[in-house]
Amino acid sequence: MISVSIAGIGGQGNVLAAKILAQAAKTKGWQVRTAETIGMAQRGGDVISHVRMGNNHEEVYAPLPAKGSVDVVIALEPGEGARALPYLKENGLLVVPQSGIAPSTADLKADPYNPAAVIDALAAQGVAVSVVDDQALCDALGTRKALNIMMLAHAINVVNADPRFEHNELRNAISMDELREAIVACVKEKFVTMNLTAVDLVLQSAKVYKI
Amino acid sequence: MSKTFLMGNEAFAHAALEAGVKVCAGYPGTPSSEVLETIAKAHAQGKAEGVHVEWSTNEKAALEMLAGAAYSGARTLFTCKQVGLNVASDALMSLNYVGVEGGTVLFVADDPGPISSQTEQDTRRFASFAKVPVFDPATPEQGCAMIKTAYDVSERYHTPVIVRPTTRVCHASTFIDIEDTTQAKPAKGFEKDSKWVIFPKRSFEAHGEINDRLPKIAADFSACEFNPIEVVSFGQDAEADSTASRDVPVQVSAQEPASDQVPTIGVVAGGISYAYVREALRIIEQLAREAHVALSAVKLMQVGTPYPFPAQRAEEFVQGLEAIMVFEELDHVLEDEFLKLAGQIHAPYTVHGKLTGETTARGENTTDDIAAQLIAFMQLPLSLEGRGMVAQTPIPARPPVLCAGCPHRGSFIAVKNALAAMGKKHEGVYCGDIGCYTLGNAKPLSTVDTCLCMGAGITIAQGITAVDPNRKAVAFVGDSTFFASGMTGVANAVYNGHDITLVVLDNATTAMTGSQPHPGTGVTLVGEHRKPLSIDAVLQALGVEKIIHANPLKAHDAIEAAREAIGFEGPSAVIYESPCTALIAPQAPVEFDEDACTHCTKCVSRLGCPALSWDRENRHPLIDTSLCTGCGLCAELCSDGALACPTQADSTDQSCPSSNAQEA
Repeated sequence: MISVSIAGIGGQGNVLAAKILAQAAKTKGWQVRTAETIGMAQRGGDVISHVRMGNNHEEVYAPLPAKGSVDVVIALEPGEGARALPYLKENGLLVVPQSGIAPSTADLKADPYNPAAVIDALAAQGVAVSVVDDQALCDALGTRKALNIMMLAHAINVVNADPRFEHNELRNAISMDELREAIVACVKEKFVTMNLTAVDLVLQSAKVYKI
Repeated sequence: MSKTFLMGNEAFAHAALEAGVKVCAGYPGTPSSEVLETIAKAHAQGKAEGVHVEWSTNEKAALEMLAGAAYSGARTLFTCKQVGLNVASDALMSLNYVGVEGGTVLFVADDPGPISSQTEQDTRRFASFAKVPVFDPATPEQGCAMIKTAYDVSERYHTPVIVRPTTRVCHASTFIDIEDTTQAKPAKGFEKDSKWVIFPKRSFEAHGEINDRLPKIAADFSACEFNPIEVVSFGQDAEADSTASRDVPVQVSAQEPASDQVPTIGVVAGGISYAYVREALRIIEQLAREAHVALSAVKLMQVGTPYPFPAQRAEEFVQGLEAIMVFEELDHVLEDEFLKLAGQIHAPYTVHGKLTGETTARGENTTDDIAAQLIAFMQLPLSLEGRGMVAQTPIPARPPVLCAGCPHRGSFIAVKNALAAMGKKHEGVYCGDIGCYTLGNAKPLSTVDTCLCMGAGITIAQGITAVDPNRKAVAFVGDSTFFASGMTGVANAVYNGHDITLVVLDNATTAMTGSQPHPGTGVTLVGEHRKPLSIDAVLQALGVEKIIHANPLKAHDAIEAAREAIGFEGPSAVIYESPCTALIAPQAPVEFDEDACTHCTKCVSRLGCPALSWDRENRHPLIDTSLCTGCGLCAELCSDGALACPTQADSTDQSCPSSNAQEA
């Protein structure tokens, strides 16, 4: 069983990222279930999608994973990565972008949100966290719209390449070409090129990441 | 037939279409809304032949309309969330007595948690109260099969049937086979018959018919596929996975498992808890293998048809069991049934669950909780401790808030300012309602003092002034909610002379549930154009003598409108008109003029707009240009002129046109 969680804030595209993974799993002939946050929480709230894939041809019963059972958490925002941490396996991979999104607050005395400190704290407690320079990638693409796809591509790239994840269930389960195929199958035609370019940008810059 | 990635609700819509549904109606509400939207989409694509689908004014209107269609022989589908059934309950209670000709399925989505609801009511209880059969799916696939069976049950016994999935089933997705096109079953039309008229004498007869058919339906349910029993045994071999044999119950009892595998422990689950139990057993097996702990087999039963309870199947299940643990969300419906059964057959088993404090009493079940509860129940020397890390860093709270540019923010601020300007003796009470605008309760707006149910703000305000006539009670209602259940409350205020001020937040859509049309928008679910119902005309017709229109994003006009209406003696109304940000393209973001800013902080501390935050170091507002819609409200309210909307010629000019006005 492979479990992947995608954590973000309403509107960041985590549902689409989950759908792309589900499509890739289906092409493999695996059973797949996903779970999404829909409704009141979408109004500026934190949202999380889960994808559970029966890669050993086992039956996937529930759409939601248990705590400590997720192979890779893909966060679209550092604080949301921290929020989703309880789902991650002890030796699982967490990918986060550098940029944070400050929570909405009218409280003038609230401490400013510091995403870098969140990432440092996660690394300090021993979480295998891989940080993406999302600003550079999104600037290169000319939009932040494909951040979800970039983070997804980065996660698959790291889990496939980094020796630390030798025993991760997602390792080599989905190739970059299979990801590309799934993107083509899932996104609107006019956005295919943008999203495939996003994948290419991630791969081109991958070597500069400390993974 | 094609395999398609569908959310539960989308899949259920296709299942109803494949069952030949002809007339579909409901009212939006999370987690049920996507069902009718999917049917409308299939209709628009020409893939659903012969189907009528609509958003009705409210749930009661929907179910009554469907009753007429069902009397006429059409297969019908009603959809709502759990609290929506409360609104339709008057119709449902009687409809079961009158009976239906065409299959009638009520898709009622429950919301354990609750995640997006005001109650944790259990529709399985409603079903037994109404004496109506109910199905409870564990997965989207099973829900699809249940919907098809539900139509058959409905027509065989002339009874409405409820299918009640929960949020996690409605919003889970998987690949499902669907027909590319569907055809509605033809209906013969209405045939006159005295049975369509409910009278006490007829009701007495009908009650007998209901009492006769329920045991038959229970017997059918005992033989159906939705109440599977299986023995889950755990291999001692390190390589073995959990082996579960799913068979019809007769075969299960004839299976004669190895003597050490004859289970004395039973686990019962309903809805998604069944899936969680299966996952939890997998975890327990893994833990046991790692700890070299031997596991005894357990007997597992899903109850997919909680009412009428499939007692015969349950009786087969309990044979040889010493203890049963029941997992279900919301109420202890199945637990009650197994307790009742133990009494009826003088069985020696004990029942463990919510009533014994051994399972989760409220909110959602999870695989983790169920695994822990099973470990305790089975008295296993296993522990789940250490599963899942916890971040050693503060995580920013992200409660839901009104969107940047939301016109409701302007409406709330206008009423608040108007009341403040009228002096202390006018301290108002803000009677809120159900919709995005319930979020006005959050700081810094703090403009929701009460919230009960759809339309209740209007009538609660009347009760507050009945007790304290000097108190200014302001009732807020959205445009969709106004048509759904606000009008009777207004009639009551006028008729009984309650001096309240009604504030209609007209954003031209049903925003919270995902921008559905309503009678005031002039567009139907399938895109037909009608003459929009006018809220103003309705209020006039109901006798409201003071009605003022204003754009809530034009702060000064909006405040003046509120002041005039609140100052009026007798029922009055302000209609704030400005479309939901989801309906319009954002304008250029607001611009900040550092030199003009006097660091008063009001733009951040009073508005609570997600696009504005306070830079403590430099003591000025920060604008998140990716969120700002250029609505202009902050520019209107900044007395320093430090915030300006570039799309408006002069944003400090109170009469500048709002970017949104033309869409209202």
